[in-house]
Amino acid sequence: MAAEFGDYVRKCREKKRAQSADFSLRKLAQRVGIEPSYLSKVERGQESPPSEATISSLAKELDEDPDVLLALAGKVSSDLQKIIRKRPKLFAQLIREMKNMPNHAVVRVVREVRDGDW
Amino acid sequence: MIELKQNRLNFSFPEVSPDARLTIEFQRTLRIPDDDQTYPLPPGLGKFPLEHVDDYASRVPERWVQRGGVMLPMYQAEALWINFNFHYVQDRESPYPFAVKISAGKIDAVTGENWDEQLHRKPQDYVVIPRQPWLDGYCIRRGVIRQFVAMPLGAGYSAEEQITGEAEHGGLQIKVFPMRRKAFERRFPVVRKRRMMRSRRCFPEEAPLEALFARKVDSMALAPGGQMSQEIYDDEFPFHEWCHKTSSRCFVHLVNTEVWRGITGKKPPTKPPKARDYTNAGLPWFDYYDERPAVPGQEKLSNLQSVAELAEEKRQNVLPENDPVDPQNVVGLRKGMRLGQVREGCF
Repeated sequence: MAAEFGDYVRKCREKKRAQSADFSLRKLAQRVGIEPSYLSKVERGQESPPSEATISSLAKELDEDPDVLLALAGKVSSDLQKIIRKRPKLFAQLIREMKNMPNHAVVRVVREVRDGDW
Repeated sequence: MIELKQNRLNFSFPEVSPDARLTIEFQRTLRIPDDDQTYPLPPGLGKFPLEHVDDYASRVPERWVQRGGVMLPMYQAEALWINFNFHYVQDRESPYPFAVKISAGKIDAVTGENWDEQLHRKPQDYVVIPRQPWLDGYCIRRGVIRQFVAMPLGAGYSAEEQITGEAEHGGLQIKVFPMRRKAFERRFPVVRKRRMMRSRRCFPEEAPLEALFARKVDSMALAPGGQMSQEIYDDEFPFHEWCHKTSSRCFVHLVNTEVWRGITGKKPPTKPPKARDYTNAGLPWFDYYDERPAVPGQEKLSNLQSVAELAEEKRQNVLPENDPVDPQNVVGLRKGMRLGQVREGCF
């Protein structure tokens, strides 16, 4: 889990680093409020993924989806947890039923802005 | 499909391409003076809040529920601009292109023609994304628009009422057509280039302010306000490259701010600053440079009377604080500038 998360973050950062020096290990760590040595260890999978708040900051800096990074870190964002806790049975059932659905079918489940008769 | 997230309309067309995604938001802004001058672009002062009409079905007119869509609050004489945030496809180093029809009161903002579900090339009745980064009003002639300004539907000021003589629809209507996937992939093969810069200063949303409550749902319509320099860019793509049969559309209802809280229970945004106060504070206005050709204005829109002109005829005072301003701090934005590139100024 830690290795997969770290590897993904490192690849994203290096991709950005190729375009801008702002994405050096040191500068990125500084912006998200952690030590460069810690970020380095996280990227190498030698440390567990950081807190939800730090992962969200990393996602913002790297233009990545925070839910994707959290999932790689084996976490679920606190707002999603809150939603699930409200109706745990319903959401557990829904997620299990959707697990084998193709992506295009899953995205159809999200709430759309309804179009009516103009 | 269209989703409403964080006060943005997210259009996506997974059936065409996973990259076919476009975000549209409605920016609060200064109302530019409605006089003989042509002004530069005003700033964005934060996004208008958006709500599903269905969530308040029992408190809005039945006709709104029939139309579906979303709603947003506007003060009388408040201005708005539409911001197109495209999705940048990294490995092709290009945004996914879209053709977007924009109407106010079911009057096309580019041609002045009545609402029509199809795209038309001659005259072009849509804007092309990403070429068109934003739209601030009705195209009255090449390179000049009249700002979208909210007025009560039925007061006679809107483009809809001036052109059709009826006060039936109000609001904004948006229809988005993606480019065909094959055309996109052929035109923009996988490459590696540097990202382009594009930014018009948008201030963060401000804290809402107490507003009056009135148990009455007033529909708002968009009327032509002051003149602003803004091109509506000519479609650079062959017409057949648009997905004419795949589109998504949204009706955006405009609610008088005074009744917004009565409907939603939420505070409306505060009033935007006045153009004079903003200018006197030395805050920036904007100019956007792109050498591509722009469409000419159509007669129906160029013949519209502005709110100030009509108010004078009607002997009404509907535009307080309409004194001319002299923006000195005008920031130039140029299409295609790279990150870090020094902008050439005027000297």
